[in-house]
Amino acid sequence: MPEIAVLVKRVPDTNAKIALSGDRVDLSAVKWVMSPYDEFALEAAMMHKESKGGTVTAITLGAPDCDKVLKDAKAIGVDRIVRVWDDSWSDLDSNQVQSALVSTLKELSTEVVYCGKSAADTGASSTGPGVAERMGWASVSNIIGIEFEDAGVEVLIPRSVGNARTGVSLPAVISCDKGFCKPRKPNVKGIMMAKRAQVEVMGANIPTPSINILSHTPPPQKAPGQKFEGAENVPTVVAALRNDANVI
Amino acid sequence: MVYEALDFYDIESECTEEEIMVRDMVRDWVDEEIIPNIEAACREGRFPEEWGKALGEMGVLGMTIDEKYGCSGMSYVAYGLVCQELERGDSGLRSFASVQGSLAMFPISVFGSEEQKMHYLPKMASGEWIGCFGLTEPDYGSNPGDMITKASDQGDHYLLNGAKMWITNGTVADVAIVWAKLDGVIRGFIVEKNDPGFSAPEMTGKHSLKASVTSELVFQDCKIPKDRMLPNVKGLKGPFSCLNNARFGISWGAIGSAQACFHSAKEYALSRIQFDHPIASYQLVQNKLSWMLREITKGQLLALNLGRKKDEGTWTPEQISLAKMNNVDMALEIARMARDIHGANGILDEYPIMRHMANLESVKTYEGTHDIHNLIIGRWITGIQSFTRTL
Repeated sequence: MPEIAVLVKRVPDTNAKIALSGDRVDLSAVKWVMSPYDEFALEAAMMHKESKGGTVTAITLGAPDCDKVLKDAKAIGVDRIVRVWDDSWSDLDSNQVQSALVSTLKELSTEVVYCGKSAADTGASSTGPGVAERMGWASVSNIIGIEFEDAGVEVLIPRSVGNARTGVSLPAVISCDKGFCKPRKPNVKGIMMAKRAQVEVMGANIPTPSINILSHTPPPQKAPGQKFEGAENVPTVVAALRNDANVI
Repeated sequence: MVYEALDFYDIESECTEEEIMVRDMVRDWVDEEIIPNIEAACREGRFPEEWGKALGEMGVLGMTIDEKYGCSGMSYVAYGLVCQELERGDSGLRSFASVQGSLAMFPISVFGSEEQKMHYLPKMASGEWIGCFGLTEPDYGSNPGDMITKASDQGDHYLLNGAKMWITNGTVADVAIVWAKLDGVIRGFIVEKNDPGFSAPEMTGKHSLKASVTSELVFQDCKIPKDRMLPNVKGLKGPFSCLNNARFGISWGAIGSAQACFHSAKEYALSRIQFDHPIASYQLVQNKLSWMLREITKGQLLALNLGRKKDEGTWTPEQISLAKMNNVDMALEIARMARDIHGANGILDEYPIMRHMANLESVKTYEGTHDIHNLIIGRWITGIQSFTRTL
């Protein structure tokens, strides 16, 4: 029975208003949630367990305030919750994150890893393929369907010519798009289980940073709207729609 | 528009992580399943069966009762937060959960035999069996002590005779907790839907709580087995204990209605342009929004404090009366004020305002009327009960 892992990430709520403090994003007041694509990965991992048995371990990387995302996963029904962290770490780059995750996955004897196709905050889409590369495993990304076989999984992947039905042998890393399943919701009993569950904290050896964030800047302000009144302005509006907005 | 709950005094930080997880679970469900469908349910005058089942699956029915009976043993604050979110959807939805948990499951859990608890509670927690609570009669509302529904001991069974009115869930209930006088003493009985001599016709024509089933319960020589009486309570203490629990839930639920109206009023005021500016920029509108915020915040603090007292077991019935009375009163006023801010649009079912307003008229009256709660507090202040006198 497979040892299944699902990588979950705590991100600012996609409706959160992002503000800057100095030259850094100020996240002190935002609401944090599980990255939406990770919810589909979590559901896929639970479906895998229900189909083939095994155990599901939810893994996140971060400081203790990331425990909530693990408790959310526990409330859904995962067996173990693991947070990868060392208090000496801060602002890890993708290389470091993937190395730390790989160290944990090896320690857990994981055979298949599910993750979201990208995180809602960085949108980098690098974790799944990066982990697979370091593990030397198969990697399939952006799946929109999955069936569980005895020796592996069969996934549906969107391609420019249509959807490709693809067989994947385990071990593998599978990154999930949305829409192919309905992520299950917690219930009160699951939440009570989560309350009692212990987060296992694991450290890892990570490489030195290869990149350095110099500063954050806000996205450019949207240009203010223009107001036109009266029939005499119709040609101006039409010209603006045609030449500036390129919508007609 | 995304719902942003008003939390001016950071109530959230006073709650445990699991309390917030339960709240968010129900909040998301209400946003996804209730708010898009509630107006249709009201127009059709029905409570969708799947909503009851979903409440059972989420585990919020009777959620404060012990886990060994299939419940969750959660805190009363968590229960309050659930009521708040349900009533943000609709008072009828919260009423369903209140009746099931506080009025039907609670008396079985506290006054029932072990056999009764094991038989009824797990199926009621899962939503498989729906419960109702029969206390009010056509001629006895605020004065239930003078009820005329009677039970008579027939040796190997009881016979119930009488009628109850304004019973939420009555027609759809599998189990009714019915209060009746046995030899002049009020006792609780568990009546099942197929018991001979029992019927529960639905009351129609409501302009309020339209997505909630309201019924009469009629007992004509209704024969029930001896083991269906609740063995561990006599007198008005039984139904009043249940009502205190339900009133507690209402004190939180009303905040949900108020939040829904406040949120809609704020969004409308910011987007409605009159005299070239959003009406939110005018002092009269800001004064109204400010008043709403003030009342919701006070109501939240009242409910949270009461919730912690419930969990500690240090609450008093008078404190519950104050919270129920105040929070429903402020929610109703906020609904009316929100309708005013929405102008003519406020009467449309595109906005939740009129539905909440009409619902709250019922909530103000049921589970102890606004005036009765004032009299309960008046008795606490003066030491003189003013409910009855010899004229």
